Amino acid sequence: MTLDVAAIAEELRRLAADTASWEHAGWSALHAAVRDLDETDLRQRLRTAKTSWLLAQAIQGYRGVSPCPPQPERYTVVAADGSVLNPDRHSPLRYYVINLGIVVLAYGDAPQARMESRARLYAGEEDLYLSDLSRRVPISGTVLGFKRAVEELRQAAELARSLDPPVVVLQDGTLILWGLESQPEFVVNWALSPFLEALAALRDARVPVAGFISYPGSSDVMNVMRVSVCDYPLRGMPVNCDHCRARILTEGHRPACDILPDVSDRVLFEQVFKLTPGERSPVYASASTILERYPEADRIHFFYLHTGAEVARVEIPAWVARDQAMLDLLHAAIIDQCSRARGYPLALQEAHELAVIRAEERREVEILVDRMLAQHGVVLRRSAKERSKRGRYV
Amino acid sequence: MSEQPESLRLGEVIETSTVGFVAECDELHCLPPLGSLVSVNGPEGDVIYAVVTYGETGSIDPGRRVVRRGSADLRDQAIYQQNPELRHVLRSVFSAAAIAYRRDDRLSYLLPPLPPPLHYSVERVPTTEAREVTDQPRYFPILAQYRGEIPADQLLAAHARHLYELRGHDRDWLERAARELARIFKHDYDRLVPLLEALDPDLA
Repeated sequence: MTLDVAAIAEELRRLAADTASWEHAGWSALHAAVRDLDETDLRQRLRTAKTSWLLAQAIQGYRGVSPCPPQPERYTVVAADGSVLNPDRHSPLRYYVINLGIVVLAYGDAPQARMESRARLYAGEEDLYLSDLSRRVPISGTVLGFKRAVEELRQAAELARSLDPPVVVLQDGTLILWGLESQPEFVVNWALSPFLEALAALRDARVPVAGFISYPGSSDVMNVMRVSVCDYPLRGMPVNCDHCRARILTEGHRPACDILPDVSDRVLFEQVFKLTPGERSPVYASASTILERYPEADRIHFFYLHTGAEVARVEIPAWVARDQAMLDLLHAAIIDQCSRARGYPLALQEAHELAVIRAEERREVEILVDRMLAQHGVVLRRSAKERSKRGRYV
Repeated sequence: MSEQPESLRLGEVIETSTVGFVAECDELHCLPPLGSLVSVNGPEGDVIYAVVTYGETGSIDPGRRVVRRGSADLRDQAIYQQNPELRHVLRSVFSAAAIAYRRDDRLSYLLPPLPPPLHYSVERVPTTEAREVTDQPRYFPILAQYRGEIPADQLLAAHARHLYELRGHDRDWLERAARELARIFKHDYDRLVPLLEALDPDLA
Protein backbone atom coordinates (compact mmCIF):
# COMPACT_ATOMS: atom_id res chain seq x y z
CA MET A 1 0.00 0.00 0.00
CA THR A 2 1.54 3.30 -1.06
CA LEU A 3 -1.11 5.81 0.04
CA ASP A 4 -0.95 6.80 3.71
CA VAL A 5 -4.68 7.08 4.32
CA ALA A 6 -4.23 7.89 8.01
CA ALA A 7 -2.37 11.06 7.07
CA ILE A 8 -5.38 12.52 5.27
CA ALA A 9 -8.18 11.00 7.36
CA GLU A 10 -8.38 13.83 9.91
CA GLU A 11 -8.64 16.51 7.19
CA LEU A 12 -11.33 14.49 5.43
CA ARG A 13 -13.28 14.16 8.68
CA ARG A 14 -13.15 17.93 9.21
CA LEU A 15 -14.17 18.63 5.60
CA ALA A 16 -17.16 16.29 5.87
CA ALA A 17 -18.35 17.89 9.12
CA ASP A 18 -17.99 21.45 7.73
CA THR A 19 -19.82 20.64 4.50
CA ALA A 20 -22.66 18.91 6.33
CA SER A 21 -23.29 21.76 8.79
CA TRP A 22 -23.20 24.48 6.13
CA GLU A 23 -25.51 22.61 3.83
CA HIS A 24 -28.01 22.19 6.66
CA ALA A 25 -28.37 25.97 7.02
CA GLY A 26 -28.86 26.45 3.30
CA TRP A 27 -31.69 23.91 3.05
CA SER A 28 -34.35 25.94 4.78
CA ALA A 29 -33.46 28.93 2.58
CA LEU A 30 -33.80 26.76 -0.52
CA HIS A 31 -37.12 25.26 0.57
CA ALA A 32 -38.40 28.79 1.21
CA ALA A 33 -37.14 30.05 -2.15
CA VAL A 34 -38.96 27.26 -4.01
CA ARG A 35 -42.12 27.56 -1.94
CA ASP A 36 -42.31 31.35 -2.31
CA LEU A 37 -41.29 31.49 -5.97
CA ASP A 38 -43.09 34.26 -7.81
CA GLU A 39 -42.97 33.15 -11.43
CA THR A 40 -44.08 36.53 -12.86
CA ASP A 41 -41.32 38.34 -10.99
CA LEU A 42 -38.89 35.59 -11.90
CA ARG A 43 -39.63 35.90 -15.62
CA GLN A 44 -38.99 39.63 -15.38
CA ARG A 45 -35.65 39.05 -13.63
CA LEU A 46 -34.59 36.43 -16.17
CA ARG A 47 -35.33 38.75 -19.08
CA THR A 48 -32.65 41.19 -17.96
CA ALA A 49 -30.30 38.95 -15.97
CA LYS A 50 -26.61 38.94 -16.82
CA THR A 51 -24.97 35.74 -15.61
CA SER A 52 -22.23 33.53 -16.95
CA TRP A 53 -24.09 30.45 -15.79
CA LEU A 54 -26.75 28.61 -17.70
CA LEU A 55 -30.29 29.46 -16.73
CA ALA A 56 -33.05 26.95 -17.37
CA GLN A 57 -35.96 28.40 -19.36
CA ALA A 58 -39.30 27.03 -18.29
CA ILE A 59 -41.81 26.32 -21.03
CA GLN A 60 -44.69 25.69 -18.65
CA GLY A 61 -43.67 26.99 -15.25
CA TYR A 62 -40.74 26.09 -13.04
CA ARG A 63 -42.57 23.96 -10.53
CA GLY A 64 -44.89 20.99 -10.61
CA VAL A 65 -44.08 17.33 -11.05
CA SER A 66 -45.58 14.84 -13.49
CA PRO A 67 -46.26 11.22 -12.54
CA CYS A 68 -45.22 8.37 -14.82
CA PRO A 69 -47.77 7.83 -17.59
CA PRO A 70 -49.23 4.34 -18.04
CA GLN A 71 -46.90 1.81 -19.66
CA PRO A 72 -47.34 1.41 -23.42
CA GLU A 73 -48.49 -2.09 -24.37
CA ARG A 74 -45.74 -2.37 -26.87
CA TYR A 75 -42.70 -0.32 -27.79
CA THR A 76 -39.23 -0.75 -29.24
CA VAL A 77 -36.13 0.91 -27.82
CA VAL A 78 -32.95 1.48 -29.85
CA ALA A 79 -29.70 2.35 -28.11
CA ALA A 80 -26.17 2.78 -29.38
CA ASP A 81 -23.02 3.27 -27.35
CA GLY A 82 -19.50 3.54 -28.63
CA SER A 83 -15.98 3.18 -27.38
CA VAL A 84 -12.68 4.05 -28.96
CA LEU A 85 -9.47 2.10 -29.27
CA ASN A 86 -6.40 4.19 -29.97
CA PRO A 87 -3.13 2.76 -31.17
CA ASP A 88 -0.25 2.40 -28.80
CA ARG A 89 1.78 5.62 -29.00
CA HIS A 90 4.84 3.54 -29.86
CA SER A 91 3.17 2.16 -32.93
CA PRO A 92 4.12 3.54 -36.35
CA LEU A 93 0.55 2.76 -37.47
CA ARG A 94 -1.92 5.62 -37.39
CA TYR A 95 -5.53 4.56 -36.87
CA TYR A 96 -8.34 4.38 -34.37
CA VAL A 97 -11.19 1.96 -33.94
CA ILE A 98 -14.70 2.95 -33.01
CA ASN A 99 -16.59 0.01 -31.56
CA LEU A 100 -20.34 0.56 -31.48
CA GLY A 101 -22.70 -1.53 -29.41
CA ILE A 102 -26.17 -1.50 -30.92
CA VAL A 103 -29.23 -2.82 -29.15
CA VAL A 104 -32.82 -3.06 -30.38
CA LEU A 105 -35.31 -4.36 -27.82
CA ALA A 106 -38.95 -4.85 -28.79
CA TYR A 107 -41.52 -5.40 -26.06
CA GLY A 108 -45.13 -6.47 -26.33
CA ASP A 109 -46.72 -9.58 -27.77
CA ALA A 110 -43.87 -10.26 -30.18
CA PRO A 111 -40.79 -9.56 -28.03
CA GLN A 112 -37.46 -9.56 -29.79
CA ALA A 113 -33.91 -8.53 -29.18
CA ARG A 114 -31.18 -7.62 -31.59
CA MET A 115 -27.72 -7.06 -30.15
CA GLU A 116 -24.57 -6.46 -32.11
CA SER A 117 -21.14 -4.91 -32.01
CA ARG A 118 -19.88 -3.02 -35.03
CA ALA A 119 -16.20 -2.26 -35.13
CA ARG A 120 -14.72 0.03 -37.73
CA LEU A 121 -11.12 1.00 -38.27
CA TYR A 122 -10.36 4.52 -39.46
CA ALA A 123 -6.98 5.14 -41.04
CA GLY A 124 -7.32 7.42 -44.04
CA GLU A 125 -6.06 11.01 -44.10
CA GLU A 126 -9.63 12.35 -43.92
CA ASP A 127 -10.29 10.12 -40.88
CA LEU A 128 -7.17 11.21 -39.01
CA TYR A 129 -7.10 14.93 -39.71
CA LEU A 130 -9.52 17.75 -40.25
CA SER A 131 -8.23 20.51 -42.47
CA ASP A 132 -9.39 23.84 -43.61
CA LEU A 133 -7.40 26.33 -45.68
CA SER A 134 -4.91 27.21 -42.98
CA ARG A 135 -5.07 24.55 -40.26
CA ARG A 136 -4.91 20.83 -39.71
CA VAL A 137 -6.53 19.45 -36.56
CA PRO A 138 -5.89 15.83 -35.54
CA ILE A 139 -9.00 13.77 -34.95
CA SER A 140 -8.18 12.56 -31.45
CA GLY A 141 -9.19 13.25 -27.86
CA THR A 142 -12.22 15.58 -27.62
CA VAL A 143 -12.62 15.88 -31.39
CA LEU A 144 -12.67 12.09 -31.73
CA GLY A 145 -15.26 12.06 -28.94
CA PHE A 146 -17.57 14.14 -31.17
CA LYS A 147 -17.12 11.72 -34.02
CA ARG A 148 -18.04 8.85 -31.70
CA ALA A 149 -21.14 10.67 -30.44
CA VAL A 150 -22.21 11.45 -34.00
CA GLU A 151 -21.72 7.82 -35.08
CA GLU A 152 -23.81 6.59 -32.14
CA LEU A 153 -26.70 8.87 -33.03
CA ARG A 154 -26.41 8.29 -36.77
CA GLN A 155 -26.51 4.51 -36.53
CA ALA A 156 -29.30 4.48 -33.96
CA ALA A 157 -31.33 6.86 -36.14
CA GLU A 158 -30.81 4.75 -39.25
CA LEU A 159 -31.99 1.62 -37.45
CA ALA A 160 -34.91 3.27 -35.69
CA ARG A 161 -36.42 4.64 -38.88
CA SER A 162 -36.94 1.16 -40.30
CA LEU A 163 -38.84 -0.18 -37.27
CA ASP A 164 -42.57 -0.29 -36.55
CA PRO A 165 -43.77 2.40 -34.18
CA PRO A 166 -43.80 3.11 -31.32
CA VAL A 167 -40.01 3.42 -31.24
CA VAL A 168 -37.78 5.44 -28.91
CA VAL A 169 -34.06 6.08 -29.26
CA LEU A 170 -31.86 6.44 -26.17
CA GLN A 171 -28.38 7.97 -26.14
CA ASP A 172 -25.97 7.69 -23.27
CA GLY A 173 -25.04 11.24 -22.33
CA THR A 174 -25.90 14.67 -23.57
CA LEU A 175 -27.46 15.76 -26.88
CA ILE A 176 -25.85 19.18 -26.44
CA LEU A 177 -22.44 19.15 -28.08
CA TRP A 178 -20.98 21.42 -25.38
CA GLY A 179 -17.32 21.06 -26.23
CA LEU A 180 -17.89 22.45 -29.71
CA GLU A 181 -18.28 25.96 -28.31
CA SER A 182 -14.52 26.34 -28.02
CA GLN A 183 -13.59 24.70 -31.31
CA PRO A 184 -12.72 26.46 -34.59
CA GLU A 185 -15.60 26.97 -37.01
CA PHE A 186 -14.63 24.23 -39.48
CA VAL A 187 -14.54 21.65 -36.64
CA VAL A 188 -17.95 22.80 -35.43
CA ASN A 189 -19.40 22.36 -38.93
CA TRP A 190 -17.76 18.97 -39.35
CA ALA A 191 -19.23 17.62 -36.10
CA LEU A 192 -22.56 19.40 -36.08
CA SER A 193 -23.64 18.74 -39.64
CA PRO A 194 -24.07 14.93 -39.44
CA PHE A 195 -25.35 15.18 -35.86
CA LEU A 196 -28.11 17.60 -36.82
CA GLU A 197 -28.89 15.50 -39.88
CA ALA A 198 -29.49 12.48 -37.64
CA LEU A 199 -31.67 14.53 -35.28
CA ALA A 200 -33.68 15.86 -38.24
CA ALA A 201 -34.11 12.33 -39.62
CA LEU A 202 -35.55 11.21 -36.30
CA ARG A 203 -37.86 14.21 -36.28
CA ASP A 204 -39.06 13.44 -39.82
CA ALA A 205 -39.70 9.84 -38.85
CA ARG A 206 -41.39 11.00 -35.65
CA VAL A 207 -39.16 8.84 -33.48
CA PRO A 208 -38.51 10.48 -30.10
CA VAL A 209 -34.87 10.54 -29.02
CA ALA A 210 -33.52 11.23 -25.54
CA GLY A 211 -30.08 11.67 -24.02
CA PHE A 212 -29.92 10.00 -20.61
CA ILE A 213 -27.48 11.43 -18.08
CA SER A 214 -26.92 9.50 -14.88
CA TYR A 215 -25.78 11.41 -11.78
CA PRO A 216 -26.01 14.77 -13.60
CA GLY A 217 -23.87 17.63 -12.34
CA SER A 218 -25.85 20.40 -14.05
CA SER A 219 -27.44 23.26 -12.11
CA ASP A 220 -29.49 25.17 -14.70
CA VAL A 221 -32.54 25.22 -12.41
CA MET A 222 -30.56 25.93 -9.22
CA ASN A 223 -29.07 28.92 -11.02
CA VAL A 224 -32.60 30.16 -11.64
CA MET A 225 -33.31 29.82 -7.91
CA ARG A 226 -30.27 31.99 -7.27
CA VAL A 227 -31.67 34.62 -9.62
CA SER A 228 -34.94 34.47 -7.72
CA VAL A 229 -33.29 35.37 -4.39
CA CYS A 230 -30.92 38.00 -5.82
CA ASP A 231 -31.08 41.38 -4.07
CA TYR A 232 -30.11 43.51 -7.10
CA PRO A 233 -33.70 43.86 -8.37
CA LEU A 234 -34.70 45.09 -4.88
CA ARG A 235 -32.37 47.99 -5.60
CA GLY A 236 -33.80 48.58 -9.06
CA MET A 237 -30.90 46.88 -10.89
CA PRO A 238 -30.97 43.86 -13.19
CA VAL A 239 -29.41 40.66 -11.84
CA ASN A 240 -25.70 40.85 -12.66
CA CYS A 241 -23.57 38.02 -11.30
CA ASP A 242 -20.25 39.24 -12.71
CA HIS A 243 -20.73 42.64 -11.08
CA CYS A 244 -21.76 41.03 -7.78
CA ARG A 245 -18.91 38.54 -7.67
CA ALA A 246 -16.36 41.23 -8.47
CA ARG A 247 -17.48 43.10 -5.32
CA ILE A 248 -16.57 40.11 -3.12
CA LEU A 249 -12.89 41.00 -3.44
CA THR A 250 -13.16 44.77 -3.70
CA GLU A 251 -15.76 45.35 -0.96
CA GLY A 252 -15.93 42.11 1.00
CA HIS A 253 -19.49 41.85 -0.33
CA ARG A 254 -21.52 38.71 0.35
CA PRO A 255 -23.76 37.72 -2.59
CA ALA A 256 -27.42 37.35 -1.59
CA CYS A 257 -27.62 33.96 -3.26
CA ASP A 258 -24.94 32.58 -0.93
CA ILE A 259 -27.75 31.69 1.48
CA LEU A 260 -28.60 28.89 -0.91
CA PRO A 261 -26.53 25.70 -0.72
CA ASP A 262 -24.11 24.96 -3.51
CA VAL A 263 -25.93 21.92 -4.82
CA SER A 264 -26.80 20.59 -8.25
CA ASP A 265 -30.27 20.22 -9.80
CA ARG A 266 -30.18 16.52 -9.02
CA VAL A 267 -30.18 17.32 -5.30
CA LEU A 268 -32.77 20.10 -5.73
CA PHE A 269 -35.25 17.77 -7.35
CA GLU A 270 -34.62 14.92 -4.97
CA GLN A 271 -34.62 16.83 -1.68
CA VAL A 272 -36.74 19.92 -2.29
CA PHE A 273 -39.10 19.07 -5.13
CA LYS A 274 -39.09 15.59 -3.63
CA LEU A 275 -39.54 13.66 -6.85
CA THR A 276 -40.71 10.13 -6.15
CA PRO A 277 -39.75 7.13 -8.32
CA GLY A 278 -41.29 7.53 -11.76
CA GLU A 279 -41.98 11.25 -11.45
CA ARG A 280 -40.40 13.92 -13.62
CA SER A 281 -39.84 17.64 -13.26
CA PRO A 282 -41.31 20.21 -15.66
CA VAL A 283 -39.56 20.46 -19.03
CA TYR A 284 -37.05 23.29 -19.40
CA ALA A 285 -35.14 24.64 -22.40
CA SER A 286 -31.35 24.77 -22.22
CA ALA A 287 -29.64 28.11 -22.77
CA SER A 288 -26.39 26.62 -24.04
CA THR A 289 -24.99 28.83 -26.81
CA ILE A 290 -24.15 25.92 -29.13
CA LEU A 291 -27.89 25.34 -29.43
CA GLU A 292 -28.18 28.53 -31.47
CA ARG A 293 -26.67 26.45 -34.26
CA TYR A 294 -29.41 23.82 -33.99
CA PRO A 295 -32.63 24.26 -36.00
CA GLU A 296 -35.35 25.63 -33.73
CA ALA A 297 -37.35 22.40 -33.72
CA ASP A 298 -34.32 20.42 -32.52
CA ARG A 299 -33.08 22.76 -29.77
CA ILE A 300 -32.46 20.72 -26.69
CA HIS A 301 -34.76 20.77 -23.69
CA PHE A 302 -34.46 18.68 -20.55
CA PHE A 303 -36.23 17.36 -17.50
CA TYR A 304 -35.17 15.55 -14.36
CA LEU A 305 -36.52 12.08 -13.72
CA HIS A 306 -36.51 9.86 -10.64
CA THR A 307 -35.53 6.46 -12.00
CA GLY A 308 -36.09 4.59 -8.78
CA ALA A 309 -32.39 4.65 -7.98
CA GLU A 310 -31.47 8.30 -8.60
CA VAL A 311 -32.54 11.56 -10.19
CA ALA A 312 -31.26 11.56 -13.76
CA ARG A 313 -31.33 14.27 -16.43
CA VAL A 314 -33.13 13.46 -19.68
CA GLU A 315 -32.46 15.67 -22.71
CA ILE A 316 -34.89 15.89 -25.64
CA PRO A 317 -35.25 17.97 -28.81
CA ALA A 318 -37.85 20.76 -28.78
CA TRP A 319 -40.29 18.94 -31.04
CA VAL A 320 -40.53 16.07 -28.49
CA ALA A 321 -40.91 18.54 -25.60
CA ARG A 322 -43.91 20.09 -27.37
CA ASP A 323 -45.64 16.82 -28.23
CA GLN A 324 -47.39 15.48 -25.11
CA ALA A 325 -47.88 12.00 -26.60
CA MET A 326 -44.20 11.69 -27.53
CA LEU A 327 -43.10 13.05 -24.18
CA ASP A 328 -45.32 10.59 -22.32
CA LEU A 329 -44.11 7.66 -24.42
CA LEU A 330 -40.49 8.55 -23.71
CA HIS A 331 -41.15 9.09 -20.02
CA ALA A 332 -42.91 5.73 -19.62
CA ALA A 333 -40.37 3.88 -21.77
CA ILE A 334 -37.39 5.22 -19.80
CA ILE A 335 -39.03 4.26 -16.50
CA ASP A 336 -39.77 0.78 -17.85
CA GLN A 337 -36.16 0.43 -19.03
CA CYS A 338 -34.87 1.56 -15.63
CA SER A 339 -37.08 -0.94 -13.84
CA ARG A 340 -35.33 -3.72 -15.75
CA ALA A 341 -31.78 -2.73 -14.86
CA ARG A 342 -31.93 -1.51 -11.29
CA GLY A 343 -32.29 2.19 -12.01
CA TYR A 344 -30.44 2.56 -15.33
CA PRO A 345 -31.99 2.01 -18.76
CA LEU A 346 -31.42 -1.62 -19.74
CA ALA A 347 -30.90 -0.84 -23.44
CA LEU A 348 -28.07 1.58 -22.59
CA GLN A 349 -26.55 -0.94 -20.20
CA GLU A 350 -26.51 -3.65 -22.86
CA ALA A 351 -25.25 -1.26 -25.55
CA HIS A 352 -22.40 -0.30 -23.24
CA GLU A 353 -21.50 -3.96 -22.60
CA LEU A 354 -21.33 -4.52 -26.36
CA ALA A 355 -19.26 -1.41 -26.97
CA VAL A 356 -16.70 -1.65 -24.24
CA ILE A 357 -13.23 -2.71 -25.30
CA ARG A 358 -11.64 -4.68 -22.51
CA ALA A 359 -8.00 -4.48 -21.49
CA GLU A 360 -7.36 -8.01 -22.81
CA GLU A 361 -8.85 -7.05 -26.16
CA ARG A 362 -6.66 -3.95 -26.41
CA ARG A 363 -3.69 -6.15 -25.64
CA GLU A 364 -4.86 -8.62 -28.31
CA VAL A 365 -4.95 -5.87 -30.93
CA GLU A 366 -1.48 -4.69 -29.88
CA ILE A 367 -0.12 -8.22 -30.22
CA LEU A 368 -1.78 -8.60 -33.61
CA VAL A 369 -0.29 -5.33 -34.82
CA ASP A 370 3.16 -6.29 -33.50
CA ARG A 371 2.97 -9.57 -35.38
CA MET A 372 1.78 -7.96 -38.60
CA LEU A 373 4.53 -5.38 -38.50
CA ALA A 374 7.10 -8.07 -37.73
CA GLN A 375 6.01 -9.88 -40.87
CA HIS A 376 7.10 -6.81 -42.77
CA GLY A 377 10.35 -6.58 -40.90
CA VAL A 378 9.32 -3.75 -38.60
CA VAL A 379 10.02 -4.39 -34.92
CA LEU A 380 8.47 -2.11 -32.30
CA ARG A 381 10.71 -0.78 -29.57
CA ARG A 382 8.85 0.53 -26.58
CA SER A 383 10.12 3.36 -24.41
CA ALA A 384 12.17 2.50 -21.34
CA LYS A 385 9.39 3.92 -19.12
CA GLU A 386 6.83 1.68 -20.81
CA ARG A 387 9.04 -1.38 -20.38
CA SER A 388 9.53 -0.54 -16.72
CA LYS A 389 5.75 -0.33 -16.22
CA ARG A 390 5.12 -3.58 -18.02
CA GLY A 391 7.96 -5.52 -16.42
CA ARG A 392 7.36 -4.30 -12.84
CA TYR A 393 10.42 -5.98 -11.45
CA VAL A 394 12.16 -5.30 -8.11
CA MET B 1 -25.72 -25.36 -40.51
CA SER B 2 -26.69 -28.85 -41.66
CA GLU B 3 -28.53 -29.09 -44.95
CA GLN B 4 -30.74 -31.90 -43.67
CA PRO B 5 -34.43 -31.05 -43.46
CA GLU B 6 -34.44 -31.68 -39.72
CA SER B 7 -31.06 -30.56 -38.45
CA LEU B 8 -29.25 -32.77 -35.95
CA ARG B 9 -26.97 -29.94 -34.92
CA LEU B 10 -27.02 -29.12 -31.21
CA GLY B 11 -24.16 -26.65 -30.96
CA GLU B 12 -20.50 -25.97 -31.50
CA VAL B 13 -17.23 -27.07 -29.86
CA ILE B 14 -15.78 -24.30 -27.66
CA GLU B 15 -13.23 -26.37 -25.72
CA THR B 16 -11.59 -29.57 -26.87
CA SER B 17 -9.19 -32.28 -25.74
CA THR B 18 -8.40 -35.95 -26.24
CA VAL B 19 -10.86 -37.07 -23.57
CA GLY B 20 -13.78 -34.95 -24.71
CA PHE B 21 -15.09 -31.47 -25.40
CA VAL B 22 -17.37 -28.65 -24.31
CA ALA B 23 -19.99 -27.30 -26.70
CA GLU B 24 -22.15 -24.20 -26.68
CA CYS B 25 -25.76 -24.82 -27.66
CA ASP B 26 -27.34 -23.03 -30.60
CA GLU B 27 -30.49 -22.41 -28.57
CA LEU B 28 -30.71 -21.44 -24.94
CA HIS B 29 -31.78 -24.41 -22.75
CA CYS B 30 -31.78 -26.83 -25.70
CA LEU B 31 -29.27 -29.16 -24.09
CA PRO B 32 -28.89 -32.86 -24.91
CA PRO B 33 -29.96 -35.03 -21.94
CA LEU B 34 -27.37 -36.35 -19.51
CA GLY B 35 -25.99 -39.68 -20.72
CA SER B 36 -27.18 -39.26 -24.31
CA LEU B 37 -24.97 -39.85 -27.32
CA VAL B 38 -23.61 -37.03 -29.49
CA SER B 39 -21.14 -36.94 -32.34
CA VAL B 40 -18.68 -34.54 -33.91
CA ASN B 41 -16.37 -34.83 -36.88
CA GLY B 42 -12.67 -35.22 -36.26
CA PRO B 43 -10.03 -33.29 -38.22
CA GLU B 44 -9.38 -36.19 -40.58
CA GLY B 45 -12.93 -37.14 -41.40
CA ASP B 46 -13.43 -39.48 -38.43
CA VAL B 47 -16.69 -39.36 -36.55
CA ILE B 48 -16.15 -39.09 -32.81
CA TYR B 49 -18.88 -40.39 -30.49
CA ALA B 50 -19.24 -38.96 -27.02
CA VAL B 51 -21.58 -39.30 -24.04
CA VAL B 52 -23.00 -36.13 -22.50
CA THR B 53 -21.59 -35.74 -18.97
CA TYR B 54 -22.71 -32.28 -17.87
CA GLY B 55 -24.86 -29.28 -18.77
CA GLU B 56 -24.98 -25.68 -17.58
CA THR B 57 -26.72 -22.41 -18.41
CA GLY B 58 -25.26 -19.09 -17.36
CA SER B 59 -24.05 -15.64 -18.36
CA ILE B 60 -22.07 -15.36 -21.58
CA ASP B 61 -19.75 -12.91 -19.89
CA PRO B 62 -18.10 -14.40 -16.80
CA GLY B 63 -17.94 -10.93 -15.27
CA ARG B 64 -21.71 -10.45 -15.29
CA ARG B 65 -23.79 -12.24 -12.71
CA VAL B 66 -27.31 -13.48 -13.24
CA VAL B 67 -29.85 -11.61 -11.12
CA ARG B 68 -33.48 -12.20 -10.31
CA ARG B 69 -35.81 -10.92 -13.04
CA GLY B 70 -39.20 -12.16 -11.91
CA SER B 71 -41.65 -11.85 -9.06
CA ALA B 72 -44.85 -13.46 -7.83
CA ASP B 73 -46.58 -12.10 -10.95
CA LEU B 74 -43.88 -12.82 -13.50
CA ARG B 75 -42.40 -16.29 -13.53
CA ASP B 76 -40.71 -18.99 -15.54
CA GLN B 77 -41.20 -18.80 -19.32
CA ALA B 78 -42.97 -15.42 -19.09
CA ILE B 79 -39.71 -13.88 -17.90
CA TYR B 80 -38.10 -14.72 -21.23
CA GLN B 81 -41.05 -13.15 -23.06
CA GLN B 82 -40.69 -9.97 -21.05
CA ASN B 83 -36.92 -9.77 -21.40
CA PRO B 84 -36.00 -10.58 -25.00
CA GLU B 85 -32.34 -9.71 -24.46
CA LEU B 86 -31.86 -12.75 -22.18
CA ARG B 87 -31.34 -15.08 -25.13
CA HIS B 88 -28.35 -13.00 -26.13
CA VAL B 89 -26.67 -12.56 -22.78
CA LEU B 90 -27.11 -16.13 -21.49
CA ARG B 91 -25.89 -19.36 -22.99
CA SER B 92 -26.18 -23.12 -22.40
CA VAL B 93 -23.09 -25.31 -22.61
CA PHE B 94 -22.57 -29.04 -22.19
CA SER B 95 -19.62 -31.38 -21.78
CA ALA B 96 -19.21 -34.76 -23.42
CA ALA B 97 -16.71 -37.61 -22.88
CA ALA B 98 -15.37 -39.40 -25.97
CA ILE B 99 -16.07 -43.13 -26.02
CA ALA B 100 -15.49 -44.28 -29.60
CA TYR B 101 -14.68 -43.18 -33.12
CA ARG B 102 -15.49 -44.40 -36.59
CA ARG B 103 -12.87 -44.32 -39.34
CA ASP B 104 -13.46 -45.78 -42.81
CA ASP B 105 -16.60 -47.50 -41.54
CA ARG B 106 -14.76 -49.21 -38.69
CA LEU B 107 -15.89 -48.50 -35.17
CA SER B 108 -13.20 -48.48 -32.46
CA TYR B 109 -14.04 -48.26 -28.75
CA LEU B 110 -10.99 -46.17 -27.96
CA LEU B 111 -10.30 -42.52 -27.31
CA PRO B 112 -9.98 -40.72 -30.67
CA PRO B 113 -6.42 -40.22 -31.96
CA LEU B 114 -7.07 -36.48 -32.42
CA PRO B 115 -9.48 -34.22 -30.55
CA PRO B 116 -12.28 -32.58 -32.57
CA PRO B 117 -11.40 -29.08 -33.82
CA LEU B 118 -12.83 -25.99 -32.15
CA HIS B 119 -16.00 -24.61 -33.73
CA TYR B 120 -16.98 -27.89 -35.35
CA SER B 121 -20.67 -28.85 -35.10
CA VAL B 122 -21.85 -31.24 -32.41
CA GLU B 123 -24.85 -33.31 -33.45
CA ARG B 124 -27.42 -35.55 -31.88
CA VAL B 125 -26.84 -39.17 -32.96
CA PRO B 126 -29.96 -40.54 -34.71
CA THR B 127 -31.55 -43.58 -33.06
CA THR B 128 -30.47 -46.24 -35.56
CA GLU B 129 -26.87 -45.14 -35.45
CA ALA B 130 -26.97 -44.86 -31.64
CA ARG B 131 -28.27 -48.41 -31.38
CA GLU B 132 -25.44 -49.63 -33.55
CA VAL B 133 -22.69 -47.79 -31.65
CA THR B 134 -23.96 -48.83 -28.22
CA ASP B 135 -24.95 -52.38 -29.08
CA GLN B 136 -21.99 -53.80 -27.19
CA PRO B 137 -21.21 -52.03 -23.89
CA ARG B 138 -17.45 -52.28 -24.55
CA TYR B 139 -16.94 -48.61 -23.86
CA PHE B 140 -18.37 -48.74 -20.32
CA PRO B 141 -14.87 -48.90 -18.77
CA ILE B 142 -14.09 -45.49 -20.32
CA LEU B 143 -17.18 -44.05 -18.62
CA ALA B 144 -16.36 -45.83 -15.37
CA GLN B 145 -13.00 -44.02 -15.33
CA TYR B 146 -14.61 -40.65 -15.96
CA ARG B 147 -13.46 -37.88 -13.62
CA GLY B 148 -15.41 -34.69 -14.00
CA GLU B 149 -18.27 -32.63 -12.72
CA ILE B 150 -20.49 -35.60 -11.75
CA PRO B 151 -19.68 -38.97 -10.15
CA ALA B 152 -18.96 -41.72 -12.71
CA ASP B 153 -21.72 -43.88 -11.23
CA GLN B 154 -24.30 -41.20 -11.92
CA LEU B 155 -23.05 -40.96 -15.48
CA LEU B 156 -23.24 -44.70 -16.07
CA ALA B 157 -26.72 -44.92 -14.61
CA ALA B 158 -28.00 -41.96 -16.63
CA HIS B 159 -26.44 -43.32 -19.80
CA ALA B 160 -27.81 -46.82 -19.37
CA ARG B 161 -31.33 -45.58 -18.55
CA HIS B 162 -31.27 -43.25 -21.54
CA LEU B 163 -30.25 -46.05 -23.90
CA TYR B 164 -32.75 -48.49 -22.45
CA GLU B 165 -35.49 -45.98 -23.36
CA LEU B 166 -33.96 -45.20 -26.75
CA ARG B 167 -33.79 -48.90 -27.56
CA GLY B 168 -37.49 -49.41 -26.75
CA HIS B 169 -36.95 -51.17 -23.43
CA ASP B 170 -34.52 -53.69 -24.94
CA ARG B 171 -34.30 -56.15 -22.05
CA ASP B 172 -31.46 -58.15 -23.67
CA TRP B 173 -29.36 -55.05 -23.97
CA LEU B 174 -30.04 -54.07 -20.38
CA GLU B 175 -28.81 -57.46 -19.20
CA ARG B 176 -25.67 -57.13 -21.34
CA ALA B 177 -25.11 -53.73 -19.78
CA ALA B 178 -25.64 -55.12 -16.27
CA ARG B 179 -23.16 -57.95 -16.90
CA GLU B 180 -20.54 -55.47 -18.11
CA LEU B 181 -21.05 -53.31 -15.02
CA ALA B 182 -20.74 -56.39 -12.82
CA ARG B 183 -17.46 -57.24 -14.56
CA ILE B 184 -16.08 -53.70 -14.08
CA PHE B 185 -17.12 -53.39 -10.45
CA LYS B 186 -16.62 -57.01 -9.38
CA HIS B 187 -14.27 -55.92 -6.61
CA ASP B 188 -16.60 -53.22 -5.39
CA TYR B 189 -20.05 -54.60 -4.48
CA ASP B 190 -20.87 -51.45 -2.54
CA ARG B 191 -20.76 -49.51 -5.79
CA LEU B 192 -22.23 -52.17 -8.03
CA VAL B 193 -25.45 -52.90 -6.16
CA PRO B 194 -26.80 -49.33 -6.03
CA LEU B 195 -25.82 -48.90 -9.67
CA LEU B 196 -27.78 -51.96 -10.77
CA GLU B 197 -30.71 -50.88 -8.64
CA ALA B 198 -30.68 -47.51 -10.34
CA LEU B 199 -30.96 -49.23 -13.71
CA ASP B 200 -33.72 -51.60 -12.66
CA PRO B 201 -34.50 -52.92 -9.17
CA ASP B 202 -35.01 -56.39 -10.66
CA LEU B 203 -31.39 -56.58 -11.74
CA ALA B 204 -29.81 -56.18 -8.32
